[in-house]
Amino acid sequence: MRLSRKVALCAAALVVAGSAAVAAVSGPEAVKARQTHMKALGASAKAVGEQIRAPAPDLAVVRAEAAKIDAAAKALPAWFPAGSGPSSGAKTKALPLIWTDAGGFAAKQRALTTAAAKFDQVALASDAAAINPAFHEVAAACKSCHQTYKEKDKD
Amino acid sequence: MAVTEQGDRRVTVWDAPTRLVHWLIAILIPFSWWSAHNDHLPWHRLSGYGILGLLVFRVIWGFVGASTSRFSDFVAGPARVRAYLADRPGAGVGHNPLGGWSVVAMLAALAAQVGLGLFSIDEDSLEPGPLARLVSFDDARAIAHVHHLMFWAVIALVALHLGAIAFYAMRGRHLTRAMIVGRAALPPGARAPRLVPAWRAILVAAAAAAVAWFAAHGLKL
Repeated sequence: MRLSRKVALCAAALVVAGSAAVAAVSGPEAVKARQTHMKALGASAKAVGEQIRAPAPDLAVVRAEAAKIDAAAKALPAWFPAGSGPSSGAKTKALPLIWTDAGGFAAKQRALTTAAAKFDQVALASDAAAINPAFHEVAAACKSCHQTYKEKDKD
Repeated sequence: MAVTEQGDRRVTVWDAPTRLVHWLIAILIPFSWWSAHNDHLPWHRLSGYGILGLLVFRVIWGFVGASTSRFSDFVAGPARVRAYLADRPGAGVGHNPLGGWSVVAMLAALAAQVGLGLFSIDEDSLEPGPLARLVSFDDARAIAHVHHLMFWAVIALVALHLGAIAFYAMRGRHLTRAMIVGRAALPPGARAPRLVPAWRAILVAAAAAAVAWFAAHGLKL
């Protein structure tokens, strides 16, 4: 009896400590912040894509957006704290698989970080020929992760 | 029924351009769905430009085409629609007063659908519509969402269209054949449709293709 009470107390303490760590940002808050970050990332990608397709691309725009994309890619792992999935109660398309398959998700993140760093590098060097393929690698990394870890539109 | 039809004159009810536009749209709607669903966005865009050109053609043809293709022939006021529903169909060929509105609704829904698609973007900014650059990423995503929902309106109208064809078929009127071959028996007392010369269709097709090309290139020459 006594032992099991101790175990129960320990478990309770662990739960409290665990939730305190998560509670730094509540689940719904984390979802909202993530969506804001992702929309900004999408806007950067859209801006780059438009320059790439333009007859005379503005490389200054590409450089500025590439820097933003690179910074966002590095920050991205922190956008997915435990408890910011559908279990948070907030409306999110982030699938629980993100947390149950943390290794696979981390691999997708690394692919993005690598691609974004390389894209930032060629943009900084104003390497016009390398910008297009480097950007498409970034967008492909976005897409590849979304396909596995983001809920598809139902309609 | 068959006895009276024996002596009927066969006339061209639907001219060739109207039939061609109809069947190309009938092919491109499922193709658009399939290509979007299977992530073939370059094909999806081409299909949309094709539908845009066909819509432009059909709308112009609604003013200068054969009589049965003209809006003035089949866009009926409420009185004629009520009379038709009250089972006083009136003699004639072409769209009936109710079917005419079905045509208008389908053209309008497809025009809205194509228009939305031009401004849409995917979540990865890999496949923007040609006019997505004119709106923000958030707005382009919202438009893409409406573009998805709007497809249900297209499906509903197509279902209604097919349902109506099935309904008439059950009452012994088979409408599909005339849309394929163009010719059908002229009911007694009905006037034969007036056709127009082929060069008109060529001019209208050139104009429609130009509009579609211009939209596909983001309204830039």
